[in-house]
Amino acid sequence: MLSVRDLKVSYGGIEVVHGVSLDVAAGECVALIGANGAGKSSTLKAICGLVPASGGSISFEGNDITRASGHAIVRAGITMCPEGRQVFPQMSVIQNLRMGAYTRTDPEQEADLSRMMDMFPILRERQSQAAGKLSGGEQEMLAIARALMARPRICLFDEPSLGLAPKIVASVFETLARIKAMGVTILLVEQNSMMALNLADRAYLFEAGRIVMEGAAGTLRNHPDVMRAYLGH
Amino acid sequence: MLIEILQQTINGLAIGGVYVLIALGLTTVFGILGIAHFAHGSISMFGGYLTYFLVTAQGLPVLAAIPVALAAGILLGLLVEILAYRPVRNANHINAFIVALGLTMMVEGINLQLFGHEQVVIPTGLSRVFRLGGITVPELRLYVIVAAIVLVVAMMIFVERTKTGQAIRAVAENRDAAILMGVNVRTIPLIVFGMSTALGVAAGIMVGALFAIAPGIGEGLVVKGFAVLILGGLGSFPGAILGGTVLGITESIAAGFISSAYKDVIAFVVMILVLLIRPQGLLGRAP
Repeated sequence: MLSVRDLKVSYGGIEVVHGVSLDVAAGECVALIGANGAGKSSTLKAICGLVPASGGSISFEGNDITRASGHAIVRAGITMCPEGRQVFPQMSVIQNLRMGAYTRTDPEQEADLSRMMDMFPILRERQSQAAGKLSGGEQEMLAIARALMARPRICLFDEPSLGLAPKIVASVFETLARIKAMGVTILLVEQNSMMALNLADRAYLFEAGRIVMEGAAGTLRNHPDVMRAYLGH
Repeated sequence: MLIEILQQTINGLAIGGVYVLIALGLTTVFGILGIAHFAHGSISMFGGYLTYFLVTAQGLPVLAAIPVALAAGILLGLLVEILAYRPVRNANHINAFIVALGLTMMVEGINLQLFGHEQVVIPTGLSRVFRLGGITVPELRLYVIVAAIVLVVAMMIFVERTKTGQAIRAVAENRDAAILMGVNVRTIPLIVFGMSTALGVAAGIMVGALFAIAPGIGEGLVVKGFAVLILGGLGSFPGAILGGTVLGITESIAAGFISSAYKDVIAFVVMILVLLIRPQGLLGRAP
């Protein structure tokens, strides 16, 4: 479904992703794990067109999207739930959710809206409040629901647990598990390797801008190097 | 005394409406592009001049000239975005600042070349005066107030109730997140410039009909527009509306009770006093 080949990303002439190749099949949940600054987020940003690829190619359902603009990529069916939530702070919760459906023209948007608020009751409760007034955990729920409002064919999550209290992190991952169970294809970037590997089907381990290991999540979870370096065993 | 205050308030509402329209145009452009669009006043005056030209030289009825001037103004606004501001979009902010200043001189020059340096008044033929108690309201002033209210309400509905309007807000609040929602961030500035210029031209026509258009008026209007934004609270639409109305009424009361020579001084003194008490402006959020 999504295929990245030899992707390179540079910021101001300094290359941070040095030729990364990965695949995500329909219905799969794939995690990119690794330390801070390993190039996971930059890979995700290049896929959704927020930063340009300086080399390599990205294709989605057979179409080359390497040079496509961000809004065209969303229309193709790729949605990202960005790092740090990035809600529209002065817009209300419901306006944020409606922005999620910006590219849609079908009549089921309102039904999806109430479905999202069933899934996240706190959003119904706070629907007319400014999104900036929500707590970090609530904003994460809003960002996830807003991404789902696009009815994406694949949903990218960039560090959804970043900066949240452990209890909230657990509930974010419960939510991701529910989304996975709904059949949404997921590409997840996460520093919390243990949680990510428990959720994902497959995973790629990033180190210094390269993929150093890939395979079934269970295999990576039990690999001695991964356990030592990332899982704290 | 009370009658006189009411009278000056009505007068102030008309000029306040002009300030609100100018300020809303400036704040939407600033919100989206981070540009202090100084040429806004001169482009507004271009619209006023064009209306005058169409009415006096071409013999068009005012109501027919206004849509033509609006369309021409919107076109000019789009050209400004594409030719002047788009190339410096990703450059240092000082570049856009210099472009904005240069553009102001250019448009002022074009106005001078096309329409001359004479002071002109758009002849509307609206000379009836309504009397209500002791208050007199010239019909032109009433129509200006009504038109300003209609335009402001239309803009608020557009921004709050349509998908495109919400996309404009989204880009202003978080550009990257807006891209992730599928918003085309190249077309949004065009829509914003079209909308902002339409409001500006409407304000220019109002100035031309109520008072007069002359070289330099547009630049003064832009300064007032930015003053309104600061008074109301930068980035706040309701703030711009309240700020413009307050500035208009303050000026009018100052002119009526003290002296019209001091109206600008008094208006700015009031502005400074407000900012001393509320540095974030009347409706701005505290930092």
